[in-house]
Amino acid sequence: MTTADRQLLSRYHSEVQVSVELQTPEMILNLGPQHPSTHGVLRLVARVDGEVITEVEPVVGYMHRGYEKLAEVRTYPQITALVNRIDWVSGFANEIPFMVATERLMGIEPPARAQYIRLILTEMARISSHLLFLSSFPLELGAATPLMYALRERERVLDLIEGLTGGRFHPNFNRIGGVKPAAGAGSTQKKVVQDLPKGFLDQTREAMVQVRSVCDEMVELVLGNEIFQERTRGVGIIPADKALAFGVTGPNLRASGVSFDLRKTDNYLPYSDLEFSVPTGDNGDGFDRYSVRLEEVVQATHIVDQATDLIPAGDLQTKVPRIIKVPRGEIYVRAENPKGEMGYYVVSEGGRGPYRLKIRSASFSNLSILPWLLKGQLLPDVIAILGSLDFVLGDVDR
Amino acid sequence: MTTNPSELAERVAGVVGSDRFTSDHGTAKVYVDVSSWVAAHQSLASDMPFFSWLSAIDWAAEVAVGEPPESDEFEQRYEILSCVGSPDGRMVVLSTDISKDQASIPSIADVFGGANWHEREAAEMFGIEFIGHPNLTHLYLPDAFEGHPLRKTFPLLSREVKPWPGTVDVEDMPEGSAGTPSTENPEDAG
Repeated sequence: MTTADRQLLSRYHSEVQVSVELQTPEMILNLGPQHPSTHGVLRLVARVDGEVITEVEPVVGYMHRGYEKLAEVRTYPQITALVNRIDWVSGFANEIPFMVATERLMGIEPPARAQYIRLILTEMARISSHLLFLSSFPLELGAATPLMYALRERERVLDLIEGLTGGRFHPNFNRIGGVKPAAGAGSTQKKVVQDLPKGFLDQTREAMVQVRSVCDEMVELVLGNEIFQERTRGVGIIPADKALAFGVTGPNLRASGVSFDLRKTDNYLPYSDLEFSVPTGDNGDGFDRYSVRLEEVVQATHIVDQATDLIPAGDLQTKVPRIIKVPRGEIYVRAENPKGEMGYYVVSEGGRGPYRLKIRSASFSNLSILPWLLKGQLLPDVIAILGSLDFVLGDVDR
Repeated sequence: MTTNPSELAERVAGVVGSDRFTSDHGTAKVYVDVSSWVAAHQSLASDMPFFSWLSAIDWAAEVAVGEPPESDEFEQRYEILSCVGSPDGRMVVLSTDISKDQASIPSIADVFGGANWHEREAAEMFGIEFIGHPNLTHLYLPDAFEGHPLRKTFPLLSREVKPWPGTVDVEDMPEGSAGTPSTENPEDAG
């Protein structure tokens, strides 16, 4: 390039460098309701300025089934089948707070063996729910391999749940005053054996070893992955005070550094007999939400291990009247579900069904922070933020 | 650490200036006047920063579906409930009554951001107006939906069309139905 060329070029440069602010008109972008990253039917109406989101309005309710109304026309034993389907990834865990609420209103307590079976199955539901998150979140960011590893072990856990309860996702296994006699224990009502299937506890312990080994793999495969770190570190930060005010619970809250776990504070199942730690994060970003859940799976396997050792012998059910009537009263019972706090406010007027049943689901509150959280974020980060919150639309819409 | 519910209810009642509180079945519940609804939440917000949920109960003597209440001293009112807590495990339910003629109550969405969606849900389901709410549109229901489904006067269409048998699994089959209840095993049925 000659000197004259350089001079010519620099003149063009200076002409090009006129300060024109590039303006793009604001655009409304509809994300969903059939977008794969929304885990169902969530629609986000986003107002975007270029790639920056200025305002977002989540639209929910595509799957609203009106459980609170349906519960008012059903008897207490019938409602178990309904509440199974709220958060279908961890159906068993949904039953627990409702059962405990009903039992406390009636003044009965299930036998210790039934409580331990409930505890084991709750933790297995937590493992299966978290393993789905641990595999689907990297998938949304473009990593397909973790899915294969995590779902393989999740299948093992689901098989065990199915072997015991007869249902992979909707066990409907709890009965007021205990749990149902196990599936396969007897084919007719006369031959029902009131106990766990043979070999269940041993197989469960073996499965827990496998789950722990896949968790080790995930640490290297996902947490150590530089692309994953770049996409999640510092993205979608939820400060602790905001999380509490919006009612964000579960691993999403603990990733923000708040050590709030209902398994430690409320006594709805015999968790106080067992030793486990509550992992928390420091930054409240997507990376912390992933690593907290990963550690929670490991803790859950330790809980199951201890529970299978400690489980006492005995009955699976206490005696309850054939027709269940619940005395007048009001109670709120909440439990630490995989997604967060799941609670039922039961108002009984002495009938066979509740007068009013308020269902407090975790994903609903976890999602209500979205308009605040997504404001000012980049459009490509929306997928990473949505995925890191781990919600289920059935749990949002109820 | 879990605080004793009755002590907790008494202490919260002192903070919000109320003299009605219960702790039946381990649920601490404090009744406040509707005029101090927002102030009660404001005075609790620093000590109990966790907002759990907000909802309502339609107390009605006549119901379109389900079982009517047994008690006699029944008033026509909506009861608004909200649940706040703290990460150490304390939890209290605040309650207030509003009349059905004028179903409105000040919004607490400014105090707890999480109340925003819960109030929208209560508004569409019960027809309660939350005064000062930033965006009181339908949350779950379609925009054109008429009526308020969780009111006790709202019928459940499927039950209108066909009454639910409801009791066959716990009581004897209705007269005239054929045979005995079947077992799970097809061999026994024959």
